[in-house]
Amino acid sequence: MTDGNPAAPVRRDPRFAARFDAMSAFVSSSAGPGEILFASLRGERADYLRLNGARVRQAGSVERAVVSLRVVDAQRQARSVRTLGEDAAIGAVLAEAHAELRAVLARLPADPYACWQPMPSFSERVRGGPAADPAAIIDTIAAAADGDDLVGLYAGGPVVRGLASSLGHRHYHETVSSSFDFSLHLEGGRALKDTWAAEQWDAQSLHAAIAAARERADVLRRPSRRLAPGDYRVLLSPQAVADLVALLGWGGFSERAHRSAQSPLSRAQRGLEAFDAGLSVAEDADALGVPRFQDDGFERPARVPLIDAGRPAQRLVSPRSAREFDATCNGADDDERPLAACVAPGRLPAADALRALDTGIAISNVWYLNYSDRDACRATGMTRFATLWVENGHPVAPIEPMRFDDSLYRTLGSQLLGLTDVARRFPETATWDGREPGGACAPSALVGALRFTL
Amino acid sequence: MSLRVVEARSETLAVVRGVLRPPLSSVDRGAMVTVWLDGELGYCASADLSARGLQDAADRAVAWALAARGRGLGLASAPWRAPELGARYRGPDDEPLPAREALIDLLRDEAVAMALDPRIVHSSAVLGATEVVQGLWIDGELVADQRFRFVEPNLEVTACDGGRSQTRTLGGQYNGFSQQGGRAVLGVSGLIGGGARIAGQALELLYAPNCPAGARDLLLSPDQMMLQIHESIGHPLELDRILGDERNFAGTSFVTPDMFGSYRYGSPLLDVSFDPGVPGEVASYAVDDDGAVAHPVRLIEKGVLKRALGGELSQLRARALGWPIGGVAAARASGWHRPPIDRMANLNLAPGDATMQSMVAAVERGIWMQTNASWSIDDARDKFQFGCEWGRLIEDGELTTVVRNPNYRGRSATFWRSLAMVGDPATMQVLGTPFCGKGEPGQIARVGHASPACLFRAIDVFGGES
Repeated sequence: MTDGNPAAPVRRDPRFAARFDAMSAFVSSSAGPGEILFASLRGERADYLRLNGARVRQAGSVERAVVSLRVVDAQRQARSVRTLGEDAAIGAVLAEAHAELRAVLARLPADPYACWQPMPSFSERVRGGPAADPAAIIDTIAAAADGDDLVGLYAGGPVVRGLASSLGHRHYHETVSSSFDFSLHLEGGRALKDTWAAEQWDAQSLHAAIAAARERADVLRRPSRRLAPGDYRVLLSPQAVADLVALLGWGGFSERAHRSAQSPLSRAQRGLEAFDAGLSVAEDADALGVPRFQDDGFERPARVPLIDAGRPAQRLVSPRSAREFDATCNGADDDERPLAACVAPGRLPAADALRALDTGIAISNVWYLNYSDRDACRATGMTRFATLWVENGHPVAPIEPMRFDDSLYRTLGSQLLGLTDVARRFPETATWDGREPGGACAPSALVGALRFTL
Repeated sequence: MSLRVVEARSETLAVVRGVLRPPLSSVDRGAMVTVWLDGELGYCASADLSARGLQDAADRAVAWALAARGRGLGLASAPWRAPELGARYRGPDDEPLPAREALIDLLRDEAVAMALDPRIVHSSAVLGATEVVQGLWIDGELVADQRFRFVEPNLEVTACDGGRSQTRTLGGQYNGFSQQGGRAVLGVSGLIGGGARIAGQALELLYAPNCPAGARDLLLSPDQMMLQIHESIGHPLELDRILGDERNFAGTSFVTPDMFGSYRYGSPLLDVSFDPGVPGEVASYAVDDDGAVAHPVRLIEKGVLKRALGGELSQLRARALGWPIGGVAAARASGWHRPPIDRMANLNLAPGDATMQSMVAAVERGIWMQTNASWSIDDARDKFQFGCEWGRLIEDGELTTVVRNPNYRGRSATFWRSLAMVGDPATMQVLGTPFCGKGEPGQIARVGHASPACLFRAIDVFGGES
């Protein structure tokens, strides 16, 4: 499938396409008798513009393409990851990796959990338009900041994933996206955070996003309140809900974590606990533009239900877990984490959410989540950015950062009063190993009581 | 113009639930070109190291600097410095790691030792080894040639019975025993022979009572001290955070520029150093990635805050704002594809004179905690909550009951003032992790933390769900 603007057919980035073709040609021509080769391509050409105080702090570009080459021979397997340099040297780089892997393989035992998809498959998905030039990005953001203390990271350019095998698999996924993850800061450390994202550079909509954030930041100018620890009624923003569900994704939906007693959802899996019946979560690859293939050649389904009406549904099963635990692979990556966790909207009209909160805390962002008791799915974290005290449905004042520590079975279960009827999409903004496809999707959540401790 | 070329070669071996996972190797080579032009910096990173590839990268870096002209840092000079004599670094010259097959056998031995009971439902024995060769050229001249060998071991075991599970590790979930060197690290880290010990403790924790709640004296082992130092001293002292660079992501700091030189960070027993010269500690190096020569520097002296963790660029920016804050050679990048930012390197707490026995004896009602399991701290690095894998109560000067799910919380701004006793060198361990994250775009760097065991008074301690 090839997607894109119908008026201007989108073509593959020529440099990444050439690398993919070279990689594909290598695996096709290099497998020895009995050998199977899988090669995965990760690539990005990224413009990164980092701002502090609406001024350029760091500005630059990164071009990086790595191939993960896997060799399987008589159930023995090993993998090597190589960064691709000069285009002319790609064949030599992969040949060197191949030779080294063969030498390693010769002294390895058979891997009982080696698994791959023997049936070849094909796909191509290319989306997005051209990236902006450096001057245009800086011009737009500097103008939109309009003297405000703007901090953030613009990231743009193509992101590529590919898979080729000696069995004939050929998958190519390319998106050209732009995002600006930013925050507006006021006196006293108060700030509001938002993320703008588009499939192609759009100065006007970026400008509008920053202006809208400025309007929402007005309430932060009021004197802040310090709350005592205790239980408070809260309205979690869509971003906060997405972050809590992302924490659940740290082992909660993994077949491997479940089978090795490391899942935070073990009590729910045994039927001892449940979330609210209004909570449903699915891994929705298509909704967030996640490639529909994974490194072992298995197709990723369009949608995998993870929590259905408050109870655990399917788990994410990688090919290796499928072998080890005699389960059915559903195209998960080896880490069995969701790439596109989407929380289904509820029935509470989004426009009425503050009125439904009445008096309590509207939490825009949560921060540094971790389990304080994994068995009990109890999590701690902090409020951050524009977290507001609300009275009679109206924001009254920002509150100072508070620590919460509570079971997610309470927060998203017995204390969950409702989810709003609109779910917001969030692109993945992590850039640890480069930009990633995917993200999350979530509505706001009204919670009767969240336990604050510090 | 500066040019940093980095080549990292690594291999990871892992035996998980008794089965060797496919060995994973990698070769990552590339270059970062940074230009300073008309007061602004621009960078471009590329793995194409041909003359044309580097020229293209330089052209792109120039384009960024020009685009930022008048709207960036407005630096009067480039932030990098060429060391007068050039710099050369080589890590510990100890015996290399054994061959792959021997390492696999070693990991298998630990895996067998961990699987000592049917209630052990998960185990992993992992060893990562990475060699990094890094060169820094400033205006065409090679000014730094540094070579590192990192060894990153870990063990993890999970015991489960009756619906309860407990996990015990060698050095936490973030490879806390990472060091530079070779074969010697295997012994120093406790990897060899560690499997049976942690498996036995995981089984013991399964039936241990929940950690009680309330104010208690808290004795922390070095493998929790490293996390406490990292989160509530290291990050707050990063000058780029204080300057606001991280406000959109990793956060800011409760430390303000006016505190340097006078702020009482902790009790008079607290001495903390930036020390990139400890042989074998994971973040030892000769120069940082802007060419600044690295020296040991005391950041907190007798409890008083003296200097920041800020590289040359951050110091320049602070001075321009009227803050003459002393810094250190802390500008480091996580790889060729990221620009330098302020980093902790080795951040070490100096030993005192208290024996382990004397610290236990000095506690009427307390708890001893080992090995971090949970970590969370606010964006200003003040309000924290940390959990450990293992705890043991101290009552009337005696070690008593082992407890599960021990947690504690507090505020950085006051916690260190409750430091009551500092362990002697016999309680000291040199630790480190490859997983310190910050920066936009994101960077994950190696940091080292050496610490003795330490005793804190009247800390808010609690357990898990009953």
